[in-house]
Amino acid sequence: MNYPVWQLDFAGGGLLVALIAVFHVYIAHFAVGGGLFLALAERKACRENSPAMLAYVRAHAHFFLMLTMVAGAISGVGIWFVISLLNPTATSILIHTFVFVWAAEWVCFLVEIVSLFLYVYSFDRLPPGRHRLLAWIYGAAAWLSLFLINGIISFMLTPGDWTETKNIWDGFFNPGFWPSLAFRTFFALIIAGLFGLVTATWIKDRSLRTIWTRFCSRWLILPFLFFFAAAIWYRTALPPELQEIIWTRMPSVRPFIDGFLFCAPVPVLGGLLLMMRLPAGLSRLLAILLLLVGQIVMGCFEFVREGARRPYILRDYLYTTSVARGDTGRLQSEGILAVAKWVRNRQITDDNRLEAGRELYNLLCLSCHAIGGPMRDIKRLAASYTPSGLDAMISGMHTFHPVMPPFTGTAEERRALAWFIAHGLNNRSDPPPARLAGKLVEIPPFDPAANRFVLVAWSTLGMRYVAEVEGLLSVFPPGNSLRAQLIERGETPTIVNQNVTLRYRVEHGFTDSDRHSTPTGDMLPEEDLFTADGILLLPTSRHGFDPYPVVAIEARDNNENLLAATKVVAPVSTEMGCATCHGGPAGPEEYTGLNRATALNILEAHDRLSGTTLLASAQSGAMIRCQSCHADLMVRARGEADRLNLSTAIHGFHAHYLRGREADACAFCHPASPTGATRSLRDIHASLGLTCTNCHGTMENHALGLLQQERTAGKQQAARLMAPLMPRAVVDDNAIVPRNPWINQPDCLHCHVDYQPPATDTTSNTWTAGEQELYRNRTDESGRLFCAACHSSPHALYPADNPHGERLDVLQPLQYQGNRLPLGANRSCSVCHTLDMNDELHHDNSLRTFRNE
Amino acid sequence: MDPAALIPTPDAIPVHWGWLQLLLQTTLFCHILLMNITVGTACIALVGYIRDRGAPSPCTELVVRAMPFTIAFTVNFGVAPLLFGQVLYGQFLYTSSILMAVFWLAIVGLLIVAYALAYFAKHLPAGSGSGRPAVAVLTALLLLATAFFFVNNFSLMQAPASWSRYFAHPRGLLLNLGDPTFIPRFLHFIVGAVAIGGLAIALWFRWRRSQGEDSADRWIGHGCRWFSFATLANAGIGLWFLASLPHGLIPPATSTGRLFLLCLAGGSVFALAALFFGLSNRAVPALACILVTLALMLGARSLLRATLLAPWFSLEQLPLAPATTPFMLFVLILAAGLALIAWMMRFTLRAMDGGGQQP
Repeated sequence: MNYPVWQLDFAGGGLLVALIAVFHVYIAHFAVGGGLFLALAERKACRENSPAMLAYVRAHAHFFLMLTMVAGAISGVGIWFVISLLNPTATSILIHTFVFVWAAEWVCFLVEIVSLFLYVYSFDRLPPGRHRLLAWIYGAAAWLSLFLINGIISFMLTPGDWTETKNIWDGFFNPGFWPSLAFRTFFALIIAGLFGLVTATWIKDRSLRTIWTRFCSRWLILPFLFFFAAAIWYRTALPPELQEIIWTRMPSVRPFIDGFLFCAPVPVLGGLLLMMRLPAGLSRLLAILLLLVGQIVMGCFEFVREGARRPYILRDYLYTTSVARGDTGRLQSEGILAVAKWVRNRQITDDNRLEAGRELYNLLCLSCHAIGGPMRDIKRLAASYTPSGLDAMISGMHTFHPVMPPFTGTAEERRALAWFIAHGLNNRSDPPPARLAGKLVEIPPFDPAANRFVLVAWSTLGMRYVAEVEGLLSVFPPGNSLRAQLIERGETPTIVNQNVTLRYRVEHGFTDSDRHSTPTGDMLPEEDLFTADGILLLPTSRHGFDPYPVVAIEARDNNENLLAATKVVAPVSTEMGCATCHGGPAGPEEYTGLNRATALNILEAHDRLSGTTLLASAQSGAMIRCQSCHADLMVRARGEADRLNLSTAIHGFHAHYLRGREADACAFCHPASPTGATRSLRDIHASLGLTCTNCHGTMENHALGLLQQERTAGKQQAARLMAPLMPRAVVDDNAIVPRNPWINQPDCLHCHVDYQPPATDTTSNTWTAGEQELYRNRTDESGRLFCAACHSSPHALYPADNPHGERLDVLQPLQYQGNRLPLGANRSCSVCHTLDMNDELHHDNSLRTFRNE
Repeated sequence: MDPAALIPTPDAIPVHWGWLQLLLQTTLFCHILLMNITVGTACIALVGYIRDRGAPSPCTELVVRAMPFTIAFTVNFGVAPLLFGQVLYGQFLYTSSILMAVFWLAIVGLLIVAYALAYFAKHLPAGSGSGRPAVAVLTALLLLATAFFFVNNFSLMQAPASWSRYFAHPRGLLLNLGDPTFIPRFLHFIVGAVAIGGLAIALWFRWRRSQGEDSADRWIGHGCRWFSFATLANAGIGLWFLASLPHGLIPPATSTGRLFLLCLAGGSVFALAALFFGLSNRAVPALACILVTLALMLGARSLLRATLLAPWFSLEQLPLAPATTPFMLFVLILAAGLALIAWMMRFTLRAMDGGGQQP
């Protein structure tokens, strides 16, 4: 915010720091351990009074001088240069806070240089004791350098009380200081032995080589126990929450932890091996390999330390984005473009969206994410996201990815950033508004004078979706349900379910490639009702995507005489939003939100976040069915008792990415977008401007209700998911009424109290008490005629306006009463009754004139 | 774009800025002196090798032998002023470094290669056929390139008005070549370095003569000639540098102006004295005079920086978050470190003098 950003693309993401640091840190530790090594090696040579042994020490000292001075010292300056280029804000804080620590370290550096020059160029010219004293002085100065720099490095990970007090000593002697110092000290000794082996194994004289190889090997073995103990001490000194994050919630750090644990003991084994008298070539090869292993151990340790610090560069104080944690709230309201000094686009417009997005990327992402480069390449990481999907991801990325900071900008800035990454870099777009072809349906005939029967039918769900990839993953399997009632017209109409057969037939198409036949079948008679469940439909006809298959239903008597016929749509859509975030070729032709690539991405994410092995199972041929583990009432799946039910798991997880939104949150996944290809919300309420959230509540509240229920049932995962979610329009979580999916739902009577015009257009946090109270299961006052028989399916209540075809969702009103209104509305009692009716037998207020015609 | 809007907000300093300025000026003096010896002797060796077609001379041999040491100490003494400079002017220095990031970071690579080559040249046998001249010449060129980028950065940091170029070129490839003061500034530094490099050569051979090396006289004269003519040339370049500054930048009537003129005048007088001594091959008094000149010119440089930044910043504006204990501790460590160094040098050099050999 304060400084310009060096716009690196390929080399972004900290590549330059990594390249210089891993190299420098190894040599720097060699410089620390090497002083003691030289002093003790010379003492050994003097004690044994061996000029040949002393010659080795001299040669090693020259090697040590050149390596540590040329590569070590200058690359140390290089780290300083590079961090000030890549994160000047953090560098400035470190420099200003610890200026005199740095200055003292410079004095140590000066003493090191002088003492090392004097030592190396005074062999045979000083009394042995005085000469060794130079090595001791060098070693002490080098260790003091480590002592000082360790205070600053450990501060970055565990600043302790400094974040509150700003006292330099609180920062310097931070909780990680002593264990880190011990760890680095013993590691430095091991590294001194590793470099010693490189020169020792090259000694030509065999016996001399053996002597020094064994001497060096001891440096690998003896400090190891202390080194390992210090590593454990370091781990335990970390704050508990940090330990939990590193070891359980940072899968990206895991390979480096494993690498460290696997490689750290290798030098000990190598040392033991080299204690034996090995052939010169083999010992040299082993020495080189051990040196490389040492570099790997160092690299892994530094990556873990750096990784553990993320999303901070100064933990708990300054994010890697150079945004102070305390400024987050202010930037989220004011906007980072308004506050940052080095930006050109202060306001985002349609014309500069891409350019502003680039500036936001520079400010907030580039420090960790390269563009096309090897360090956390954003193009690869964001490849599966559309702009809106990435926008959602960014909004909640810090919840499940503890390495990520919260987004510090406005929602508009977030969208511009997502646009730059997803569209500007990855050329991804959200689907354009769908163009609907329009569908004509012939209305079945009905003659009020001649027809004895009225057949009414409806789908149990007005919004039915399918998310399944055959053979790979099933989230929501296909299977529509129809209900029908046959009414014999008369003075007092009767509901018929004896000696008649109701047969349904779906119009041609609408099945997948394996099921060529047109779904047809007899509906099962139940009390007052005929049912058909598990009708395997997909939204594909010969005309392409069609989410509203028309089902023709006929009622016949035992002699196959036609009693009545009608039509109804059985909505089904694959237009799920999975591909918005999980990738896959979501194409406007198919409108299939879950494809093979999408499914693989979902399984990979599930494995990564939940520790499962679903991807491997799927790749070995098993089909993954969510309901195998997660209970789902819709398909009567019991799941596993200790896991969240499917609806809670999905809503509870995704709510974190869809916070602060309205109905657009629902349309991210469900086929409810007003510009989508399905447009499931098509009933009277939609045309009056109501949206999902008017009945179901906001995404946060919706998810919290489900989670609350599961938490009450003792499922810890629910509590974890609830913690970062803030409810809206209520004071806290406790005000959220727990609910079971598909059972505790919003209901018409929550607004239309006593069937009266509503006093409010919003109901939330009020749910049906049980399954029998659901609209689809409820009847009128007589207890026999289902609400949906006259009002149609949820989300398609009459007078519905289906954008795919104006008749589609009003087939029966048009058939029976020549208008689009609920059956019987505006006193159209004659649909069933042969007399005019004056009593409101079905429900109160049923004889009044329809208000919203 | 208003340059003031681009200048980052500085962080608080732990002690009064005067202490930090004192440390900056003192350590910068040491660094510039060492840098002058390193770069100046390297340039003289470069010319020597070219002129003599690669044939070694005692002068070039000296430079090649000493180069690893001078580079090491130049780098070490560069750390301290860079540190104190960042504390006082970090908001300017970080910014200009980022604007020319590619070149600024390249300095690390240039220095590593130059330093490694210096060791390599030192260990190559003398003689034109050994490749030593080529390596030494390459080292000198790398050091010149390093100096070139340093001058770029330290002039760019003083020119916030030119920073808005970043928006068209954000990839760290900007330099400050459009600044009319840049070329005279760079030449002033390099030619000054050559002068002091020549003087360092003269002083070394003066010491050799005191050790009984008769042929040293020739090289004392050689070094003094380099010193004298380079100083003379640098006086002209200095005037060019002065003339290239914006007209009326430092009004002589102001206290800053008077101080600036005092530094320049004093520095010039001592430079003339040094020139006189140089032309008469009197290296020690020439050294004394030129050290005073160097100190005064660094003072003038500091005043010039303050003046150039005055429209946007002055050191008095730096917020102060007092933390004096670390400062005291540093002073103690510095004193102890210098004492330790003196002691080590004393007993080692005494013993080595007894051996009659040189590193």
